[in-house]
Amino acid sequence: MTIERELDTIDVNFNVGPQHPATHGVFRMVLTVDGELVVDLEPVIGYLHRGAEKLSENCDYRQAIGFQDRTEYLAQFNAELCYVIAVEKLMGLEVPERAEYIRVILTELNRIASHLMFMGAFSADLGVFGTLFMYAFRERERMQDLFEEISGDRMMYSYFRVGGLAWDVPQDFVERTRWVVKQARQGIADIDGLLTRNEVTMARTRGIGVMPADQAIDWGFSGPMLRATGVRHDLRRAEPYSIYDRLEFDIPVGTQGDVYDRYTVRLEEMRQSARIVEQCLDQMPKDGPVVAPGLKRVLRPPAGEVYMRTENPRGEYGIYLVSKGTDKPYRLKIRSPSFCHLAALRDMVVGHYVADAVIILGSVDIVLCEVDR
Amino acid sequence: MIADNPWIDAIARTLLVVLLVIGVALILIWLERKVAGRIQMRLGPMVVGPYGLLQSVADAIKLLTKEDLRPAVADRWVFELAPFVAFVPSLLTLISLPFTAHLFVRNLELGLFYIVAVSGLSIVGLLMAGWGSANKYALLGAVRAAAQLISYEIPLVLAIVAVAMVAGTLNLVQIVEGQGRVPYIAWQPLGFCIFIIATLAELYRNPFDIPTAESEIVGGPFIEYSGIRWSMFFFAEYINVFMLSVLGSLVFLGGWNWPLGNEVGWPLQIVLIFAKTSAMLLMFMWFRVSLPRLRIDQLMSFCWQVLLPFSFLGIIINGLVLVYDWPDVLLGVFSGVAALIAGWAVYRGSRRAAPGQPWSLVSARGID
Amino acid sequence: MLGLFKALGTTFSAILRKPVTVEYPAVHKELPHRTRGFPVLLWDFDVEEPFCTGCQVCARYCPTECMSVTMKDNPLHAEGKSKRRKIVDQFYIDYARCMRCNICVEVCNFDAIVLNNSWSGHEVSRYDRRDLVYDLEDLLAESKEGSLTNPFREPLGMAHSGWSPKQRGEKAEAEQPSGE
Repeated sequence: MTIERELDTIDVNFNVGPQHPATHGVFRMVLTVDGELVVDLEPVIGYLHRGAEKLSENCDYRQAIGFQDRTEYLAQFNAELCYVIAVEKLMGLEVPERAEYIRVILTELNRIASHLMFMGAFSADLGVFGTLFMYAFRERERMQDLFEEISGDRMMYSYFRVGGLAWDVPQDFVERTRWVVKQARQGIADIDGLLTRNEVTMARTRGIGVMPADQAIDWGFSGPMLRATGVRHDLRRAEPYSIYDRLEFDIPVGTQGDVYDRYTVRLEEMRQSARIVEQCLDQMPKDGPVVAPGLKRVLRPPAGEVYMRTENPRGEYGIYLVSKGTDKPYRLKIRSPSFCHLAALRDMVVGHYVADAVIILGSVDIVLCEVDR
Repeated sequence: MIADNPWIDAIARTLLVVLLVIGVALILIWLERKVAGRIQMRLGPMVVGPYGLLQSVADAIKLLTKEDLRPAVADRWVFELAPFVAFVPSLLTLISLPFTAHLFVRNLELGLFYIVAVSGLSIVGLLMAGWGSANKYALLGAVRAAAQLISYEIPLVLAIVAVAMVAGTLNLVQIVEGQGRVPYIAWQPLGFCIFIIATLAELYRNPFDIPTAESEIVGGPFIEYSGIRWSMFFFAEYINVFMLSVLGSLVFLGGWNWPLGNEVGWPLQIVLIFAKTSAMLLMFMWFRVSLPRLRIDQLMSFCWQVLLPFSFLGIIINGLVLVYDWPDVLLGVFSGVAALIAGWAVYRGSRRAAPGQPWSLVSARGID
Repeated sequence: MLGLFKALGTTFSAILRKPVTVEYPAVHKELPHRTRGFPVLLWDFDVEEPFCTGCQVCARYCPTECMSVTMKDNPLHAEGKSKRRKIVDQFYIDYARCMRCNICVEVCNFDAIVLNNSWSGHEVSRYDRRDLVYDLEDLLAESKEGSLTNPFREPLGMAHSGWSPKQRGEKAEAEQPSGE
């Protein structure tokens, strides 16, 4: 007589903890796994909460620019741009042409730099030993050197000001930027050759972490995550800010919404950003003021509220600003794209393997400081 | 050759080879970092010693002086013996590895069989490490490692058996002697490809990096080890790399024999085998830095659905050609054709998984 | 298969390029002119006193509140050697809090503080956090020994001002309350 019994297995709680090379910052996922299959996922955030919004309430409008840098520490110019345009909207300021062009150039270069960081971290998650990370960072270093020559710092620029820029760019700005963009194209070609057509990459990323378009809209996705699912939405076209309505560029749109689509969408966005930068360099006025005239030393925007959103490399970055007419903002709320994307992580990961969980998290391209503020 | 008493002779030779190979492992660690650095457009270690040559020595000193940790809930003897069980078989394989026709510890009649059998013992060491660590990451890593290493033993052995069929012997010196005219890579291209892939998997290097997947389960089964215990695992890996590279150059690339033959003196033969081993080592290092990592189920399906049938095919081809006494050239021809078919099958399989260009460029005017 | 070969080819072509490493402690790369190091005070060699008068504008505008400034009556003014009635008495900057945002430089009315754009403004490592609090002597040391040769100061009146103070010497024409 044989006794047949189902093997009694339990699901194991598996903590991908705050200190882990794969979590791109201090983020914790508690996975419940059955063998290698992920059955449940609970994201735990808050490890990097530093009170940026509350601190900004104690600072006047120029000091708060530094906090925007530190909140979105990979796409700093994008965050600063959103903030200064929000305040300018509140005050009804007109920014000079040259300042607008320089702002867009620096913002798009920063987009390329942020996507390069994504490529590096993504390839490290995939298992390429560090090669693509180094290639991506070589180009990123060039951009950071350029930004250091302009603003003085390699990462926390604090260069945009309400009404324009802090100071003018150096004399050789146009040639230097053209050279940096040319080198960046070479770097993008390297990354393309190493990962895009690679069979191993496709086997690891095709069909993984799929998020269909309607669910993506419900979750509040934006940016490359949304465009990878097939929705044609880009804030630079839908609600043009700054001078984007004068520029010609295309928008890459994916089909399936899986990890491979997100990767290729970001890769192509880098090329389009390079195209935007080159157009701006051609169209930029040779000289002119870089700050709006007649600004006081201490800014006091009129009472009111404004919500400004821009297309960050991660998605829709929004600043909701309430002013009571004083020199400090009454409320500065940051709408961060990574927060909304992380909320959907469970739906994307459940049903895949542990190895895929790491790759899906990498493809969301989070910046922890933005999630936790 | 060193002494008359065979026991003292054996012990002396073994000591010599072991010390030599540990020195080689230290150099290999340095070389790996330098090669990885060069491919990544950077310099690698440069500070310790000229061009960083003493970096391995510095690492060894650091590891020796580190605190020897053991988790309190770990299974004590399993945890402490695991490094030895993983390390000793790597050294045992060196006993029957010849470097020239006269430089070896012992030339066993079943040399090839002995090497493959003994090197499989280190899998037990990995499992012991994973279980004894009382850590979920370690257990996950150890189970994955065991599955991978056991599975990929089979194509490795079959590729080597195919060569043994052609050579007619398992004695390594005679296998090399038989390659005077043509190295066996020309007779067995399919076997060589399978050997390379299976070796990468046996050594858990990229793209088969799962056991020590740095970005998922940082360190795998070795996660709780520190200091000298960890360095034993690390050395075992590099000694295995060296051993399999030497084996590959002996069995497939012609060893010390091709192209210069047996008449040249042993220094030139040493240089020749050194060059071939280095070529294989550099190729392994190049693959490590360039290719992403496969997932465990993709790895296993690749082994059982692709490598295994084609290695059986290789043996069948060899059997047909040898039994019916066809000319040797047909060995190479059939094997080459089979290798091309294998490559084409993998190509078609990967094409089907990832069709065409996935994204489209939408012109940016007039979208919502 | 082809994708794998392409990946291998890309990495192989990288071997042929020069490595980009700058071996740091041995080789220091050239810092751009506008680099923002840590803040230091400037020494007025004409009168042998700091430019800083202790007016505390920089301390008020600092986002991280890392500065602590006091002023005193200037003894050199009483002797008739200097035009500054007040001079700085104590000046502490906590480098551990400073975020090098340049606001103190922008708001200073006397051109007295500047961010150190040489390597000594970046290589500030100490074993104890309390050693990172610099007092007046430490802050003036760089300028006094003459090694601050080319600090970066954007033209006054650039950001947010229709107002700029009169300066002595050749700077009087440079400041215009336009946006240039």
